[in-house]
Amino acid sequence: MFPYLSLILWLPALGALALLATPREQHQTARSIALAVSLLTFVISLALPLRFNAADPSMQFVEQVAWIPQWGISYHLGLDGLSLWLVVLTTFLIPIALFATWNSIHAQVRYFQILMLLLETAMIGVFIALDTILFYLFWEFTLIPMAFMIGIWGSGNRIYAARKFFLYTFAGSVLMLMGIIGLSFLHRDATGAELTSFSLTQIMGDIRTGAFALEFGMEQLLFGLFFIAFAIKVPMWPFHTWLPDAHVQAPTAGSVILAGVLLKLGTYGLIRFNLSLFPNASEWAAPAIGILAVIGIIYGAWIAFAQTDMKKLVAYSSVSHMGFIVLGIFALNEIGITGAVLQMVNHGLSTGALFLIVGYIYERRHTREMSEFGGLWTVMPIYGGLALVMVLSSVGLPGLNGFIGEFAIMQGAFISPALGWGYVAVSVIGVVLAAVYLLRMYRETFMGEVNKPENAELKDLSGGEIGMMVALLVPIVVIGLFPTLFFAPMQASISEVAQAFRSVVAEGQ
Amino acid sequence: MLDLIWLIPLLPFIGFLINTLYTGRIADVHTRERTAGYVAVGAVGAAFIVALLAFVQLGQLPEEARLHQVVLWTWLATGSLNVPFGLMLDPLAGVMMLLVTGVGTLIHIYSIGYMHGDKRVARYFAYLNLFITMMLLLVMGNNLLLLFLGWEGVGLCSFLLIGYWYEKRSASGAAVKAFVVNRIGDAAILLAMMAIFFYFGTLNFFTTTVNGIEYPGFIEETSRIAGVTVGIPGQTFLIGTIISLLLLIGVTGKSAQLPLFVWLPDAMAGPTPVSALIHAATMVTAGVYLIARTHAIFTPTTLAIVTWVGALTAIIAATAAIAQWDIKRVLAYSTVSQLGFMVAAAGMGIYVAAIFHLLTHGVFKALLFLGSGSVIHGTHETQDMRRMGGLREHMPTTFWTYLIGALSLAGIVPLAGFWSKDEIIAHAWKHQGDAGYILPVFFILVLSSAMTAFYMGRQMALVFWGKQRDHHYHPHESPSVMTIPLVILAGLTVLAGALNLPGSHWLTDWLHPVMREEAAQFSIGVAVFATLLAAGSGYLGWWLYAVKFANKITVDGKDPLYHWTGDIWDSMAAAWYFDALYNSTIVPAYRRVAGFFAAVFDPQGIDGIVNGVGRLFGRASNGARTLQNGFVRTYALAFFLGVVVIIGYLITAL
Repeated sequence: MFPYLSLILWLPALGALALLATPREQHQTARSIALAVSLLTFVISLALPLRFNAADPSMQFVEQVAWIPQWGISYHLGLDGLSLWLVVLTTFLIPIALFATWNSIHAQVRYFQILMLLLETAMIGVFIALDTILFYLFWEFTLIPMAFMIGIWGSGNRIYAARKFFLYTFAGSVLMLMGIIGLSFLHRDATGAELTSFSLTQIMGDIRTGAFALEFGMEQLLFGLFFIAFAIKVPMWPFHTWLPDAHVQAPTAGSVILAGVLLKLGTYGLIRFNLSLFPNASEWAAPAIGILAVIGIIYGAWIAFAQTDMKKLVAYSSVSHMGFIVLGIFALNEIGITGAVLQMVNHGLSTGALFLIVGYIYERRHTREMSEFGGLWTVMPIYGGLALVMVLSSVGLPGLNGFIGEFAIMQGAFISPALGWGYVAVSVIGVVLAAVYLLRMYRETFMGEVNKPENAELKDLSGGEIGMMVALLVPIVVIGLFPTLFFAPMQASISEVAQAFRSVVAEGQ
Repeated sequence: MLDLIWLIPLLPFIGFLINTLYTGRIADVHTRERTAGYVAVGAVGAAFIVALLAFVQLGQLPEEARLHQVVLWTWLATGSLNVPFGLMLDPLAGVMMLLVTGVGTLIHIYSIGYMHGDKRVARYFAYLNLFITMMLLLVMGNNLLLLFLGWEGVGLCSFLLIGYWYEKRSASGAAVKAFVVNRIGDAAILLAMMAIFFYFGTLNFFTTTVNGIEYPGFIEETSRIAGVTVGIPGQTFLIGTIISLLLLIGVTGKSAQLPLFVWLPDAMAGPTPVSALIHAATMVTAGVYLIARTHAIFTPTTLAIVTWVGALTAIIAATAAIAQWDIKRVLAYSTVSQLGFMVAAAGMGIYVAAIFHLLTHGVFKALLFLGSGSVIHGTHETQDMRRMGGLREHMPTTFWTYLIGALSLAGIVPLAGFWSKDEIIAHAWKHQGDAGYILPVFFILVLSSAMTAFYMGRQMALVFWGKQRDHHYHPHESPSVMTIPLVILAGLTVLAGALNLPGSHWLTDWLHPVMREEAAQFSIGVAVFATLLAAGSGYLGWWLYAVKFANKITVDGKDPLYHWTGDIWDSMAAAWYFDALYNSTIVPAYRRVAGFFAAVFDPQGIDGIVNGVGRLFGRASNGARTLQNGFVRTYALAFFLGVVVIIGYLITAL
């Protein structure tokens, strides 16, 4: 079988190596090579949904090579319905982010491209690693390029933001490492195997068959270790304060990837680890986590309303939107979880687009304060129109992608015994508040009169900028009208998560 | 033909795409404007023709077979959720669809004249076409989720068109306000949908089978939740009551009922044809359609509340309409009031009467709004009625058509408004024994309709009688592209009552497969009483402002009646301060909490703890660092202490 996953995983890293060989001052060469490599990766990654067998709930495109056999660590990759679209989202957003740097990154261009490609490898690795140690390595490796991007190419208080981002997430990861090691040792003891195994599929399989049963207290402990790491990454309220700092200082391309993909590592981990490995503890914790998610939905939306910096507004909107995703995950049923996975993709598309939109105007005016603008729709009609569609996607207008995800999430939470209508009744307020803060932003910046002379001569979007927007717009509309195309491949795997979960929980009771 | 009903919403959507992607790029201003208008009118006109053909064909089917569903594709399917992108045509959807495309076509034509010379006219027509598409999805969707897509879609178009002249701060504010207030209602509908799916496992209205897949419907299954309750011990609610109350909240948003009506008067910031199409004839009636469509789920408890909401809205808005100076705001409050009549009718269980009034009102209120647009156009953007006066000589066609519309709204026999309103009032009178609240509702509605006649008399007098009070403009009649739609609508206003005349009751029969209602009973006594009351108060309104106070009306002056009523008049003009109340409580409170979160709670509270933890580790490591200071004597001391501890341990352990 052709090693698609290894190819997609390592191609960007190879591109980064190749970039090292190019002359430092030839910015255009570096940009072109990086973009070409990322586009090639994207094209190859399209083979994944095309060759994916939607009826098969297990891992596909599996590659496994022993790595440190004494400890049971292997190079083990695989893809299922949960990770499929997240990988494609990653390979899709990286070229867009790289293209966005064309006019905005001028210092040390080559290094920026190298870091971006390394980041791509690391992020894909997180989504397809089936060995927990391998997963952990990729997980930690995502931190380094992003911290450098914020610290070197950021603005304002960038060192503080980069350090906070790094330390905060790292603190969570260390707990997860404890969890990973503890899990494998407990697994070895429980199954009586000679060697430890760090194979996620094996541990998960043994949990589902009952060969590996955790004591409830231990399950809660391990659940907590993983949960904190992921909750910081998501970020869930109240672990969110690194996010606005990081976003505001990060360059546009960094923000697109940070919001578009990096946050999803957290929600992906919640499903892959917490839900799949610790069903009893998941059910135990779901009501409390649901409350945190709902607080995040309302709090993020409320605080976004008070922002005057557009980028900070979008950053806080992420806290609200990610709250919805966590709510869907802890609905613990097919509708909620598939809705959450789709919403991860949706949020990557629409928030990525919103960060680009803020970036476009920042490049032209070097400010993101809403009070500096007004009447942009008149000066830049194409920009205004596209920005409106992206805002509406984020608001959750039916017909566009955001609505589908939010509706499935809330419907899942509504029928979930773990959560129920009370959670939905509060989180639905978030749907109203999203319109409040996003339309306020749109009104302040795009509507009204052109009352600042520096805005009167602004150039409308260039062909390339329109191209990026349209590239994002196509999936936004397609998901809005034909979400079943995206739901269908994840159905089998996610129903496995929910099903296995249900049976284990039923036995436990 | 019936399998092609998807063409009806598709055609205006194609118009939208052409005007968005192509027409805007035409360099020549005149060609651009002409192309935009022709494309838009052609698209909606073609939709009207297809709709008419489909409607006729539906009528040829036997009565019980008049429900045709077309599933275009599976829209949202995951887990047990399976919602098709499906359209349906039944008698109710049919009349709505004809109203939307018919009145819509006339308003599109009128817009060619009204929007002449506007610099963004391609965008205007694109929005208008998109609105028609969304409105058609709303009335033709075969499930609640698709209805909701149309519901929010028309809300979006409303936002875009209210904010069409977005340079004006008031327009952009009104646009955002309309969207947000509607979203409050929409959130309730979302909850209602989820509850319906939870209890019925489907969002489809009626069962249909496509390609062997059965999509069950919930309307026929409502008996399943009869008597099922939720709640805390001692206080339980019927599921049906909760779901229908949630739907009602949605209705109060979209159909501008108490307490969410505050967005509609502001919505008049949009171009006048938009007010006619969206904020009078079609979109705002969607709430009434929703109640009629899902009436099976409404319980007596909810229906009583629905009735009260409608009746109170009717009278509050009627009083507000009396005290307005802006020609469009009179009509806006009048629309709120008439929607109250429809909602009250639905609450009393006479859905046919509600739909009847919806249809006639759609015609004559569109006429009135377009007429007011003609007045505004002919007086060079004047909207304040104090600056008008004597226009009947300068604008004869506008005057005569407006008069027909006003008489119809006032409920003068034999115009359309009389028949539909009378059906509601007569029912309340005849069924006063059904429940304790029907009789007070009857009086409220009668009083409201007397006020309706009064404010229309006042408006006719202020606009068309007397002498021109402001001479900054030269009034002129509008071009025929605007007056022809007025004449057609006036004709329909005369005739539309025939839809459901007592004795023939065509509409009741037509809607019978959906509503299963008996024909309304006509009461000659109520009819005579209501007509005399309307004629009397209408004449009073006209006489006061055209004769008695004719000389006391001045530009920017107070209303002559203000001297008699004082604060009451001010309260009426402010629509009893609902808007002011929200603006002085909810809005600033929301702002203040947001500011507190952003400036204090998040950076100092939550992030303070995070940074505090960071600093704690920093301090601790600083402390630890001082131990390693490079002095041999310190290390020797540590070594010595260590030895003491170990020896001490060994001694105690032994």
